[in-house]
Parts: sequence; C-alpha cells; structure tokens
Amino acid sequence: MIMEYKMETIKTFNYDRPIIEKGYANQTLFIDISVPDISIKPVDEKMKDVFIGGKGFDLWLLWHAVKSTTKWADPDNAICISSGPMGGTPLYPGSGKSIVTTISPLTGSVIDSNVGGYFGPYLKFSGFDTLEVKGKTEKDIVILIDGIDEKVQILETSGLPDDSYDLSAILTEHFAQGKPRHISVVSTGPGAKNTRMGCLNFTWYDLKRKRARYKQAGRGGIGSVFADKRIKAIVARWDTVKVDTNNPADGNALKAVGRKHSKEIAELDPKQNEMATIGTTHLVTIMNDFDLLPTYNFQYGTHPEAVNVGQEVYRRIFDTGYDGCWMGCTVACSHGVKDFVPLTGPYKGTKVFVDGPEYETIAGCGSNLGIFDPHMIVEMNFYCDAYGLDTISVGTSIAFAMECFEMGLIDETHTRGIHLSFGNRLAALEMVHQMAEGDGFGLIVGQGVRQMKSIFAKDYKADPHIMQDIGMEAKGLEFSEYMTKESLAQQGGYGLALKGPQHDEAWLIFLDMVHNFMPTFEQKAEALHWFPMFRTWFGLCGLCKLPWNDIIPEDNKDTREPAKVMKHVEWYAEYYTAVTGKKTKPDEIIRMSEGVYNFQRIFNLKMGFGQRDHDDIPYRAMGPVKPVEYESRRDRYDKELVEKHHVDITGMDTEEKIRLLRKFREALYEELKDAVYKRRGWTANGIPTLETVRRLGIDFPDVLELLKAHGIE
Amino acid sequence: MFRVNGKQRSWYEGMTVADLLRDIGDSHHYAVVRINDKHVSMPYFEKTRIPDNSEVFLIPLIAGG
Repeated sequence: MIMEYKMETIKTFNYDRPIIEKGYANQTLFIDISVPDISIKPVDEKMKDVFIGGKGFDLWLLWHAVKSTTKWADPDNAICISSGPMGGTPLYPGSGKSIVTTISPLTGSVIDSNVGGYFGPYLKFSGFDTLEVKGKTEKDIVILIDGIDEKVQILETSGLPDDSYDLSAILTEHFAQGKPRHISVVSTGPGAKNTRMGCLNFTWYDLKRKRARYKQAGRGGIGSVFADKRIKAIVARWDTVKVDTNNPADGNALKAVGRKHSKEIAELDPKQNEMATIGTTHLVTIMNDFDLLPTYNFQYGTHPEAVNVGQEVYRRIFDTGYDGCWMGCTVACSHGVKDFVPLTGPYKGTKVFVDGPEYETIAGCGSNLGIFDPHMIVEMNFYCDAYGLDTISVGTSIAFAMECFEMGLIDETHTRGIHLSFGNRLAALEMVHQMAEGDGFGLIVGQGVRQMKSIFAKDYKADPHIMQDIGMEAKGLEFSEYMTKESLAQQGGYGLALKGPQHDEAWLIFLDMVHNFMPTFEQKAEALHWFPMFRTWFGLCGLCKLPWNDIIPEDNKDTREPAKVMKHVEWYAEYYTAVTGKKTKPDEIIRMSEGVYNFQRIFNLKMGFGQRDHDDIPYRAMGPVKPVEYESRRDRYDKELVEKHHVDITGMDTEEKIRLLRKFREALYEELKDAVYKRRGWTANGIPTLETVRRLGIDFPDVLELLKAHGIE
Repeated sequence: MFRVNGKQRSWYEGMTVADLLRDIGDSHHYAVVRINDKHVSMPYFEKTRIPDNSEVFLIPLIAGG
C-alpha cells in the first residue's frame, strides 16, 4: 500500500508503567487535545468498589468532565474508553471487550457502546484502566499509547486516508515495528464527520489472514464526536498477552473456571447455534419464523425471501477460519467475507475483506429496507464500516425515509431524484455514499430519525403525527432490529433502556413471546430489573455477554430459572473472584450493576432527561399503526380485543379496532413503567429515590443536590 | 437410524419434528431445532419431516441480542 502521508509529533508524555494488580492498572489517562495536555489520574478503592470498571469508570470520569449544559460537539464533551478488571484475559471466552461513552449527538445524553478488538486490553496493559479524551483540534491528530516504550504521543497528521478500512491498515503497519499483532487502532471515517450516527472501528490483527480487522462501537454517534474533535485515530501498542499479564488474584482458580467454560463452548456450540461457523446469522430465519424480523420499517415481522439472507447463505459466503475478536475466545463469532468486490463507491471493482455481516446489519440494512440480496447487504456493511457509520441507525433511518417516501410524505423533489422505495438496493447504497460525502438527501437521513421527523414536518410540511408513530426512535436513538409489537416485556426492554432502544440491556422478546417465561406483570417487571442489571455487569468487567446465554449447558432446561443460565452466572462470580480477589456470589453481581445503572439514570437526569416521559416509545413499537399492519395479524388482534379486553368487534372497521387496541396497549405500557420503576427503587416519575442511591453508595453530594432539584429529598 | 444431539435413535417413515419432541417428552423446552444445516422453528415442527440418517440438534434456548 503506497500512501503519501505525514506525521509530526507535537507532544510526548513519558511515564512509568504500573504493574497490573488483580485486573486493575489503578490509574486512568487524561488527554486534553486542545492544549494539548496529557496527565494521569489515580483510581482509588472507592471508585473500584462503586463503579467496578469499564462503563462504570467511563461514566464517573464523564460525569466530572461535562456540565448539564454540555452539548455533544462542545470541547468539554469527553470520549471515555475502558475495558474492565477481567478485560484482557486470554483464557476465558469473551474477555476482550471495551466500552466507550460520550454525550451522544443523537440523544443529547450519555451513550455507551461495547466493542471487541484488542484496544481496551492493550490500553490497560499499557498502564491505564480508562482513557478520557476531551478538547478539539484544528488539525488532524493521531494519539499513540505505547505501553512497550512507556510513552503517550500526540501526532499531527496529513495525507492519511479518510476511510477507516485503509486507515486501519496503514496505521497498523506504521506503528507495528514488524509486529502488527501488537497494534490496535480506533478510528472512524467520513460518514461520521457528516452525520450524527458515526461509529468507531476497533481493530485486531488477524495473523492467519495477515490483515487488520475490526469490530464496531456502533451506537449513538460516538464516531461523530471523535471525528468532530478531528481525531483520526487512537492507537494502542502492547506486547504479548498471557493469563498472568492481568495479574489475577488466584491464577489457578481462574484457569479452572476459564477452561470449564471454554471447553463447554467448544463442545456445545457445534450442537447449538454454531456461532463459531455462522456468527449471529442464525437469528435471521428464526426471527422470521416467529414473526419478529423487522421488514419495511418494522411494519411486518416476516417475509418469504428472508431465507435468502439467513445462515444457510452466509455459511457459504463467510471465509472459513478462526474468527475471535479477542485472543482465545471459543465463541469466535466475528466472521467476514474475503475477496468481496463492491459494485459501487470508491472501492468499486476492487477486492476487499468485509467484517460481517451480523444479524443486526442483515436486518437493519436488509429486511427492514425490503432488501433480500445477501451480497448487497455485505456491500452496505462494508461501506458503513469504512465510512464509520452505525449499521443499525443507518438501516432504521433509511427505513423510515423509505416509508415516508412510499406514503407520499416526501417525494423525489426532496430526495433529489432518488426513488427511495423499499427494496431499492441502489438507492439504499446511494444514501450511504451520500452520508460519507456529506451531500444530497443522505445528509438529511444521516441526522437520524428524530431530526428527520423535525425537518420533514418543518420544511416539507409532512404530517408530524404519523411520523411520530412510525419513526422508530426513542430518546433520539434508532431502534435496533427486533419487532416488539407483540411483546410488552421487550417494549419495556427497549423503552426503559437507559441509552435508548438497544437490545444489549434487555433482550426478552423470545423469553416472553415464545417460551412464556414471564406471563404475569410482576414477572415482566422482575425480568426488567434482573436482566438489565446482569447484562450491565458485562460492560463493567470487559466481557462479552455471548458466552453467558448463547451457548447453554445441556441440563439448563431442568434448572429452576433456565432464562438466567445460573450455572454460567455462578462461573462468572467465580471468575470475578479469581481476578479481583473479592469473594463474590451471583446476587452481588446484580448489586454491583445496580450502582452503575442508577448512576447512569441520574446522569440522564443531569443532562435534562431521565424521567418518565423520556421512556416513551413510538406506537409502532407497541402495535399496528396502519390498517395493512392490523390486517396482517388480524386474527391475533381481533382475539386480543375480544378475549382480553372484552370488546364486541361485530361490525367494527379496522380503523376503529386500531384505535381501541392502541388505547389498551398504551395503558399497559404505562402500567409496565409503574411496575418497573417500583422494582428498581425509583419514583413514579422514574427517578431513583434517596433510599436507592444511599443503598447503592452513589449518594455523592452533587447527586443529592441534583435529586433535590427534582424534589427528591 | 438418525442422531439427536449425537445419540442414535430409531427412525420411522413420516416422522416429524413434533413427533420426535413428543417421543422425547420435553417438547416445551425447544423453540428451534437444527436438522443437518437447516434450522426449523416451532411453527414448522408439525409439518417438517426428519430424513433418515440425519443429524438433529435440539437448540435449548434462543438468547439473541
């Protein structure tokens, strides 16, 4: 690869790398790129006890970095990246995650996004539990965190490529000193600069394929904040990783529990979902069979062509070989497509390697757009990553624009001649290219569903009420790709999630609808307490959640609570104990998460959100908006009106039935809010009570002051 | 003969996924099974026949997300 580029060091900070103690470096790295200034902040025991690590550390640093008035593009906004105490353990599956937080361009509040790749562990082994970057520059910079040579540098750059695909490869080679596996690059691309839905790509070096590959911190536009600060990349350099690099409190106990879990996955994954072979693509046809796969902007849950973009096809398209995004992970689900040749854009006609697609991308950039062409989805995936765009927000935003186009709310005068209808593959790709170029209608789509609703109403005189019903965003974040109409629990899973409708907090749809594990209201509320808390814990510790419940012990079905996979929860408690030396049982895991979870809720409050109204969801997430949606599931809806709500529907037209169903379902959702708030120890307005914050040890003076300002004292 | 989660079972003509799960006796635990490389979901259990000599896997839980 020949590229004319320059890099000039403008700041060097030398430091003595600390020894990692029981999973912690015990210090964080602070960089203000405006000055520029580089310094180290200590981590004390209280911070570890209350915030654990990962997202907890990020939130604590971000809380102090921003004011309640800070906007996403302000220099004060920080990007924080952490792994966690178990992050960087090569023996235990799924132990290489990083969590990134910032103030989101889409929501205006705190966003968090978890991601694989080697950066978080390399950052920690270089001496820092968390990286906090704030400020803005006028010239492009690269930040190097070199744990081998014990230095942090800021370099001014010019001539580097804009897109993350080439940029990752060039920077890996530039800093590798002959050992590319020692490098992890965080970068974004031109789409991030021109939209609010930019993602970050985190690399690892694939020794077999001899190339830098990447995973995405996708949600909430973190890449857009990164690009706005004019950071081209942050690079971590670290040496060989072994089990004792993380210096666990009890290495033998760690090896024992890690081997158990690794062995079980290696034995059972081939019999279960085959994630090591097909990743998450198995979900496409399964969701389709259960009427849960979003199609045509979440109008319907199934399509006869879905099989064309499911695991049977991608099994043949994926390149074979080991695909772990962290060392030694036996789930190894990060598959990719080799020698793919795009038909459009700057890479048209050249062979590229594409990381993905995963289920979310297939559903978001495929079925939800009415696209069932597996190669076109791969091309969307490639360009979204290379341009630094979140495939979920891109998919859900284009789907909204397509429905508006088909309904006549917008037309070709607005799209500048593009026939933006469902199933138009080239139009969808053109939107992505326009997002990268910052031009055309793609520039508007790239602002996200919430902004589009406002622009279409104000500038194009489109009906704001219907757009409110069909625009699939909540808190400003686009929905991820599951149909929630028939699952009240999953409506809560999305609507009550702290950052917006993303499934990583609570994925209850199958447990609720198919397995019927939570038939009562109280059980739903309990699930909306336990699952978000347990899932939060992975993000505190540097872990991936897939080993927990995507490969399941054969005797799990005979346990008292199969949905929780308690055998694995117990293993995780053993794992935490072995690394940190703090003796831990499963219940204490929930308690750890509760502190951070409630703190994040209060952080939302600080930013002007975090109350009952902010947990609202669009009606399409609850039920049918249009007669065609009702008619597609008429038997189900008629039955619900008659049997559950005791309505005589004789002679009633569809519009009237929609109106009645809506009244019942919206009331149920409000009841669910009440039940969940109560279970979580919040007021009826969704704010943690004094008793809750005291119990969890997050009763800091500024928290109490904030609560007092909202009448909680 | 065919195999279920690696264990041999007797096969008979016309056997469906629903028949197999009834024979095993805990059908309510499974929403999806895999026959060789193909996933079959609960709505299709009654009408999907299991071929002789096939490899069947009972998928215990779909966790997603």
